[in-house]
Amino acid sequence: MIQHIDVRAVLQESVSGVYADLVTRPTGRVVRERIERAMAAAQGDAAIARIDFTGVGCIDYSCADEIVAKLSRSRPAVLVLTGISDAHREAIDPVLAGHRLAALIERRDGTLEAVGAPEAAARLLADLVSRRLAARTPGGTFALTLA
Amino acid sequence: MTRLVEVPAQFDDRSFDQFAGAVAQATQDGERLLFDAHAAEWASPYGLVGLLAAGQAARGTGRADRPLLTAPTQAEVLTYWTRAGFFREAAELFEIHGKVPRAKAADDSDVLLPVTPVRAAEDVHSVVSKIQERSSAILASKLGLDPKATMGFAMALSEACQNIVEHAGTGGWVAVQAYHWRRKLAKRVVVIAVADAGVGFRHSLEPTQSKRFGARWSDAAALEAALIQGVSRFRDPGRGQGLAGIRRYVTRWEGKIAIRSGTARIAIVPRWDDDVPLRDGLPAFPGAQVLIIIPEQGSTKP
Repeated sequence: MIQHIDVRAVLQESVSGVYADLVTRPTGRVVRERIERAMAAAQGDAAIARIDFTGVGCIDYSCADEIVAKLSRSRPAVLVLTGISDAHREAIDPVLAGHRLAALIERRDGTLEAVGAPEAAARLLADLVSRRLAARTPGGTFALTLA
Repeated sequence: MTRLVEVPAQFDDRSFDQFAGAVAQATQDGERLLFDAHAAEWASPYGLVGLLAAGQAARGTGRADRPLLTAPTQAEVLTYWTRAGFFREAAELFEIHGKVPRAKAADDSDVLLPVTPVRAAEDVHSVVSKIQERSSAILASKLGLDPKATMGFAMALSEACQNIVEHAGTGGWVAVQAYHWRRKLAKRVVVIAVADAGVGFRHSLEPTQSKRFGARWSDAAALEAALIQGVSRFRDPGRGQGLAGIRRYVTRWEGKIAIRSGTARIAIVPRWDDDVPLRDGLPAFPGAQVLIIIPEQGSTKP
């Protein structure tokens, strides 16, 4: 099973509903803790957590670290990031690389792309394939096997 | 007795050390300060937020009375300082003398963010939200910045403001402006200026870093540790990302970041600038003052 987490909704429950940006470390911490609680509640049922950033404006480095890096490190489930814009990647990629971590981004066409440290990215993809959670597509890319 | 502090006629990061020297000298005997800006001809956002930080420091000396400020006498200077939101903030810190126009909204497109107080994470959310509303089109159309760079600009602004919230131990101010920098670059630039009169980098980093530096521990060492080595006062390994992120951003877009704290100033100097990377032994000034400049892209585009 794939658990879907709407980050914008979590953000708006966490801070004033008028803001769409993931900025500041306290905000990142509150959002991550809510995501962790949601993942803990689904533990055992969800092999993959699809963390959806659709509708999130700016992500700063502090929030990228507090949310993506810390969730990637604790790995309560396999994290797949969706709704990621180029601007989101600008913050997420160097933060993960700095920690020698990686995360998977699911593109609109369903293919997976790893960001962060290349070695960690290769390990992450290999792990997913070995657990049959992802498979190579005819085009040579990777995609999740679960819907 | 009142001690006079002259505000430089051209008040920006270059003349700030002269101002800091005057403040340091005037505050030695604890007398009331008079900041004299009557002859001011121009002030950059850095000058404006720096002047507020000086007022904040003077208020923090325990005197019951507020420091005095004589407003600029030139009408267009007064209008600009008002439009930039300076007097709205200054009214709480200074006893202002001189005619100050009634506050008007900053509807001029060059003032991307008027002088805005930053005290808590909520203020950073508000600043980032406002800057994206106001600046995206200007950054793209007038500065030729890639859309990626405009979002990165909001990130850099967020991190610069968070520096106050997390490290200053007090509030501060931020201002963002775009202007044509004829004298230096003959290009349009967008400038972020952030200032506070808080504890400064050296004090903030001292518990975790001073032993590592030993006798070399100083304001300059603290700035170098924070900006170049990405260290933080927090032991969490993810900390220190903010300034590192700003540094990457300004390097990528041939911009500049300079941070002054205590008696030192550090800068990432682009090829179009002749600033020095590190200065030590400057007149002491409390807190931290951050300057970020992103130039119009074109011949400087990487």
